[in-house]
Amino acid sequence: MPETAETSHLIVRNLLTAAWLLPLAAFIAQVYAVECWSNRLSRASGLLGCAAIGGSLVLSLLAVAFFPSGSGSAHTADDGSNHAAVDAEHEAHPSATPAALAGRYYTLARFGDSRLELGWYVDSLTLVLFVVIGLIASCVHVFSLGYLDDERTEDYRDEHAHAGDEQPVSRAGRFHLFFAYLSLFCFSMFGLVLAGNLLQVFAFWELVGFCSYLLIGFYRERPSAVRAANKAILVNRVGDFGFLIGLAVLWTSVGTLQFATEVDSKGVTASGLFEQVRGDGQLELSDDSKSVVLQRHLEAGDEPAPTRPTIAYTLFVLAGLGIVAGSIGKSAQFPLQTWLPDAMEGPTPVSALVHSATMVAAGVYLVARCYPLLAPEVLLVVAYVGAATLFIGATIALTATELKQVLAFSTISQLGYMMLALGVGGWGAGVFHLSTHAFFKSLLFLSAGSVILACHHEQRLDRLGGLRHRLPWTAAAMLIGTLAVTGVGIPNPWAPGYSLALSGFHSKDMVLASALAFVRLNPLHSLLYLVPLAGAGITAVYMFRLWLKVFVGRPADQHVFEHAKESPPVVLIPLAVLAFFSVFSAVGGESSWLYRGLVTSEPAFVAASSTSSAIWPITHPGHEEIHAAHGAAGLMVWLVAMAGAGIAIWIFGYQPFSADELRATFPRLRQFLLDRWRFDALYDLAVVQPVLRISRQAIAIDRTVIDPLLHGASRLLVQLAGWGRRIDELLVDGAVVGIGAWTWRSGERLRRLQSGQLRQYVLWLGLSVVVLFGVVTWMRPG
Amino acid sequence: MDGVGLEAYLIVGAILFGCGFACLLVKRNAIAILMGVELLLNGANLNFLAFARFTSLGLDGQVIGLFVIVLAAAEAAVALAIALNFYNNHLSIDVDSAKELKD
Amino acid sequence: MTITQILFGVFAGLACVSAIAVVLVDNVVRMAFWLVMALGAMAGLFLLLHADFLAASQLLIYAGGTVVILIFGVMLTATGPFASLKSSAGQTVPGLSVSGLLIAMLVSTIAAVPWTGLGKAVGRSPASLDQGVMRQGDLAAAMADSDETREAVMAVTDNWQNRVEVGRSTAPLGLALMGLRPDRDLIAGNKPSTLSPGYLLPFEIISIHLLVVLVAAGYLARAKRPRATEEVHIVTAGSSVTPKEHRIDAATSESADG
Repeated sequence: MPETAETSHLIVRNLLTAAWLLPLAAFIAQVYAVECWSNRLSRASGLLGCAAIGGSLVLSLLAVAFFPSGSGSAHTADDGSNHAAVDAEHEAHPSATPAALAGRYYTLARFGDSRLELGWYVDSLTLVLFVVIGLIASCVHVFSLGYLDDERTEDYRDEHAHAGDEQPVSRAGRFHLFFAYLSLFCFSMFGLVLAGNLLQVFAFWELVGFCSYLLIGFYRERPSAVRAANKAILVNRVGDFGFLIGLAVLWTSVGTLQFATEVDSKGVTASGLFEQVRGDGQLELSDDSKSVVLQRHLEAGDEPAPTRPTIAYTLFVLAGLGIVAGSIGKSAQFPLQTWLPDAMEGPTPVSALVHSATMVAAGVYLVARCYPLLAPEVLLVVAYVGAATLFIGATIALTATELKQVLAFSTISQLGYMMLALGVGGWGAGVFHLSTHAFFKSLLFLSAGSVILACHHEQRLDRLGGLRHRLPWTAAAMLIGTLAVTGVGIPNPWAPGYSLALSGFHSKDMVLASALAFVRLNPLHSLLYLVPLAGAGITAVYMFRLWLKVFVGRPADQHVFEHAKESPPVVLIPLAVLAFFSVFSAVGGESSWLYRGLVTSEPAFVAASSTSSAIWPITHPGHEEIHAAHGAAGLMVWLVAMAGAGIAIWIFGYQPFSADELRATFPRLRQFLLDRWRFDALYDLAVVQPVLRISRQAIAIDRTVIDPLLHGASRLLVQLAGWGRRIDELLVDGAVVGIGAWTWRSGERLRRLQSGQLRQYVLWLGLSVVVLFGVVTWMRPG
Repeated sequence: MDGVGLEAYLIVGAILFGCGFACLLVKRNAIAILMGVELLLNGANLNFLAFARFTSLGLDGQVIGLFVIVLAAAEAAVALAIALNFYNNHLSIDVDSAKELKD
Repeated sequence: MTITQILFGVFAGLACVSAIAVVLVDNVVRMAFWLVMALGAMAGLFLLLHADFLAASQLLIYAGGTVVILIFGVMLTATGPFASLKSSAGQTVPGLSVSGLLIAMLVSTIAAVPWTGLGKAVGRSPASLDQGVMRQGDLAAAMADSDETREAVMAVTDNWQNRVEVGRSTAPLGLALMGLRPDRDLIAGNKPSTLSPGYLLPFEIISIHLLVVLVAAGYLARAKRPRATEEVHIVTAGSSVTPKEHRIDAATSESADG
């Protein structure tokens, strides 16, 4: 039924486009129209934002419903005019048919056969992310209505920003501005996910980065917030630079940035990146293994060209590394992870939405989306980066002293898990963890926000404690988040998918299973399993430490404790919604609805085990191997997590040691972790200080050399101009004025001749005749 | 020789012309100046006729003389009208008072 | 001394004396009288120059027309002081001396020019011109070279040529104004294709010109003295402002009152 298929394509496209553009409309209204019908005291801007993102959520859900699921229906649209269905796994694996819809809105530019387009690409990953972003963003919007309620004033006193004399800075509230930024961010994020080609991805990539910058620096009176915003955007530049290089390599070598193969209305096929690089699932190497053969689509009857286009393998790896570099920057992976903890300067809802659930996940999304473009060596890099990141993040989180800092490092760590999963070939596990993590991490952040709100922006762990009596609902929500992120639960050995455990348990299981399967096939890389396993234990320790320090024990600060009170329903309802999804989103594990939906988008070559031998011989596990490793990995990670939880409960719950004793145990290690592995110091020493030194020198050169030169030049110019002026005044003006004055004087003299007496004129006439005649006669020759 | 030569006529014409010119210079009355103009024209006219008589100009000289007379009449009429108008406006016939354009 | 010389002396002397008198007399009416005398003498000189029609025109138009117009002008304007306006010596002396210089210059020039070379087309000497009558034989010998045509040519050319020469110029003048030049075209040897131009077009132009002048003179000279009455009105109003300003003042004062 091609008509049905095409209709569903149109419906999906229109629904998602509407969902994408709705926040933009809200943004425009909030920025430009809000002055007309609203003011700082009004909730209108926030309600508008909530309505827009809620609408987007509904539209996304509708799109899910209309998405042509199941096998066979998707690629019948190949003969549709403008819509091309990409089906990378045509005949090879008919059992699981990943379907993707793609098309273009508009062609931006055309260079010969190459085109830059405004396109769209929808597969189940896109849809899941749409729903997840829509859901979390809706919750965050509603939460923000409560959290930023005190911004609805003309005179907001910011206790954390001082105007020189220890007085809190007083400023106008920015309620409407906050929601405008959020709307812009949602639009950008949707655009990033929906984008049909890498250039579009890059554009929205930068746009979410810019929104992140705006939101981190939301409290722009605080120097720390400004510094954090600058740091975020500057560190991201490093990664984006790599991303740009990757784009350039792909554009040059492959000639397109389009994901999907497209058939235009004339029936001409423009092969997308995925088809060109991995036409039938695997990279096709040239005979000497030094280049990758590109697979352009051939029309029926076309003879294959004798020499097919290729891309050098090193260039191919470089392109992959470039894309991964972008991901590393955006997802705060090692070694560019330092910006994310500082980004917690932004309002807590922002941390929940932008810096845990969605934007930082964009890096993982990019790796997942560009998975076919990544060589095995690049994936190995991704895996090691992920492992390093998760370990660094987890260890730093152990000693972090502020509520949101712990969560930030936890985010870094969890993102490391996702990267690791993708790197070891567990595509499904990576994006699965991405989805579940989005739920429980935003839950955690919103709970933290609720705590912060209740405690009047007090978030130092040593000032909190015992708050479960004051904030029972928040405590429960945060406990759910903690259980989810740690993976603690009661496993069901017979049906692991239906254990008494939360979403994080399932997704982390899958990550570890992928890693274990990979390690089994590549024993050389055993670290890639051991590190995440250890990380799982550390995660349990720091998360339970956090929860126990905040909600259990004696209140450290009676003042804070006395004034803490449970947040209003507008804050608690989003917590409940997110808690629900944190608990149930992954029920069923491998057979859960979410995972099965996601896996339909998995690139075809992932399903089966594959060995590549271009530079290093690496074997990636297939579904079979991962499934086989699932039991063992699950058991091990459960044990480690339970152990970590036990340690945490013992140390921080029963408190056998005093806080000072704990601090004195490993002072050097503790200081090392408090300094965040001294990355900031390293970068300061290696990058910031040299840059500053160079700029100081540049300033000095400017001051001593260039400025005098310029001043001299300008002084010379002034001199010259003075001379020119004098010449003008003397010669040019003099000539003109002189001629004028001479004419005037002559006229004055001649005027005296004009007596006005007719007879005198006649007299002159006669006299001149006589004189003339006399002259002529006198001068007559002869 | 018994006839009167060309020079004699020309001299008479010159005297008339000079007297007309003197009228222009000396008289203040506009009408008197008009009379001077008539004298001027007559002196010139005499020259035309003299040349018509004594040179190959022939009848052409006489035709031109006729035209001069006619035009002199026309000129007298218009100039007199102008003089009357001037008199009407300035209540004077003195040409020395006609110097508005100068001021 | 021939009768021609006597007549010339009389007329020329009269003309010159009268012209000088015009210059020297101060009273306008007397000037007009002397002008009439000078113009009449000029008519006599015209007759001596064999221009009979022009002499008549001179008397008719000048003495009878133009001078009458002038005298009318004198009568209309010669109210009291304007009858005899005297010029100052500072104006008279330079004027008279320049005029004298002019006359001297003209006379000396006339005397200096050798007038002998300006004979008629037939090439006769001024001496023979003085005769006033053409010798027919000479003319025929100069113009016709065949015996057959001699008689006919002579009959016509003699006739017309002689008319101009002997002072019967009315008919040739009339024909010239009509565009015909028998005095030239009927000379033997002239081909019909090279007819001399007449004065028909100038004549017509002069006619129109005269008409226009008549209308213009009538228009200019018609009686209107609005300026004088206006001045009187202003004086009687007892105010130095013009009537228009006066009106504006009145309007503003009214509005101020209201």
